[in-house]
Amino acid sequence: MKIILALLAVAVVIGLLSLRGLHRRIEHLAENPSAEEQARREVLAPKVSTPTDVMIRARIFWADGPDKLAPMDVELALSADPLKRARQVIDALITNPPDPAQRTLPADTELVGFYLLPDGTAVADFSDSLASETPSGILSEKLAVDSIVQTLKSNLSMARRLKILIHGQEVETLAGHVDLTGFFELNAAPQLAPPAAAAEAPANVPSRAPTAPQAPAPGGPRR
Amino acid sequence: MLIPVSLATIAAGGGAPGRSGMPHAASASQQQPEQATATSKQQAPTKPPTGDESLPLSRPPAPQENLSPTPPSPQEPAHSGPTIVLDPAHGGTDTGARGENGVLEKDIVLAYARMAKSDLERQGYRVVMTRNDDSDPSYDDRAAVANAYRDAIFISFHVSSTGKIGTARVYSYQFASQPESDATGDARRPAPTGLIPWQEAQRPHVDVSRRFADLVQTQLAERFTASPSMSLQYAVRELRSVASPAVAIEISSVAAGDMNSLLAMGSQVSGAIVHSAVVFRATGNGSGQP
Repeated sequence: MKIILALLAVAVVIGLLSLRGLHRRIEHLAENPSAEEQARREVLAPKVSTPTDVMIRARIFWADGPDKLAPMDVELALSADPLKRARQVIDALITNPPDPAQRTLPADTELVGFYLLPDGTAVADFSDSLASETPSGILSEKLAVDSIVQTLKSNLSMARRLKILIHGQEVETLAGHVDLTGFFELNAAPQLAPPAAAAEAPANVPSRAPTAPQAPAPGGPRR
Repeated sequence: MLIPVSLATIAAGGGAPGRSGMPHAASASQQQPEQATATSKQQAPTKPPTGDESLPLSRPPAPQENLSPTPPSPQEPAHSGPTIVLDPAHGGTDTGARGENGVLEKDIVLAYARMAKSDLERQGYRVVMTRNDDSDPSYDDRAAVANAYRDAIFISFHVSSTGKIGTARVYSYQFASQPESDATGDARRPAPTGLIPWQEAQRPHVDVSRRFADLVQTQLAERFTASPSMSLQYAVRELRSVASPAVAIEISSVAAGDMNSLLAMGSQVSGAIVHSAVVFRATGNGSGQP
């Protein structure tokens, strides 16, 4: 009888310890809800690296308070290929905010495709989560779009304007407010990409023609 | 969303800002503008405004108050000045921002619009609402309500899920510097027929919209002191197809507290709108030339 009681007591202690560990894990996830998405992202969307990567001071735009952006210079290994470079800086924007409060894009957002047309039009195709998980509101959507636009503008001199797609489709708004049917201006006098580079599609994205530039659009905000 | 060809153009009118760009069917639509909201974003039939007062309101309108978007009857006093089109964003299954305590943006903005309607009508304005119930008109249906009037001012209400609590921002639409070129390289300009694309309807009005937005922002900054002093220009979809001065007001945020706390902010918003409308009218649409 004493042995059974002792075994039960041990089982209870082990159970309590397990519950405590589980509780800590839940608390950790609650404090940092993006941790799981980021872990998944590291598996599904490994960092882009190319033989031409060199450490460069890149300028990334994260949130600075609840209603504005601020540029931050960070050392990144960036490719000479503008398409790869665009993916690298957008990846940094998504995955490396200095503080979770400075995040402008949902943690599990992925840039699934990036194209640069000969006329300097850049087309960025994001995963659904950019639209479905960006908080609703003009301000939050403006910060999300501006962080993408300003980051690309600062690190991709050959891009003249940007079209944002969601999962390969032109959408009317990001999350109900900001108009995505037009273009966002990047560089007024872009250094156009060489034709070979401009025609190249990202290696991990199926080759397909971007739809947006063919569709008439009213234009986007000027900055 | 693609705009049907039949809706893709409106007449490019001349005259003073805010009184141009009238749709072809302006006179007919003015008789029954509520028909313009007959479809929703989901293409489901929209219930006609019923004046349903199930939502909490700090100042419930009197039972005899006309809450439908129908123009005033001959018995009502003639309105003066522009027709104010109030647009509570979202509605129906589109709840907008959602607060932790369960408050929904679609309910708050409807209450704000009703408060502003009551205050504006006391000043003699004709006021029309794009929705007065839990329906969800499409962006173009909302714009069509404003485009049915020669002298409309379109005001869209929003409450954000982010931003410093107790601040307000006013937006007017910003297009690219020039209309996009079509496939032949010709910039899209008003056709010889005087028609402009429906999706470009706001373009002739961006300056006057910005002036009105600045007026409202100045008033809101006095009431919500941490707010920006000047309005912002951005591509807010709801404003793009409105052929008259159009602004969007966004209050931060649904995290401000319970419904009563948020409704208290609505009185300030309404006061700012009324003051701005009076100044706008007195100064000739903000041009300084009454």
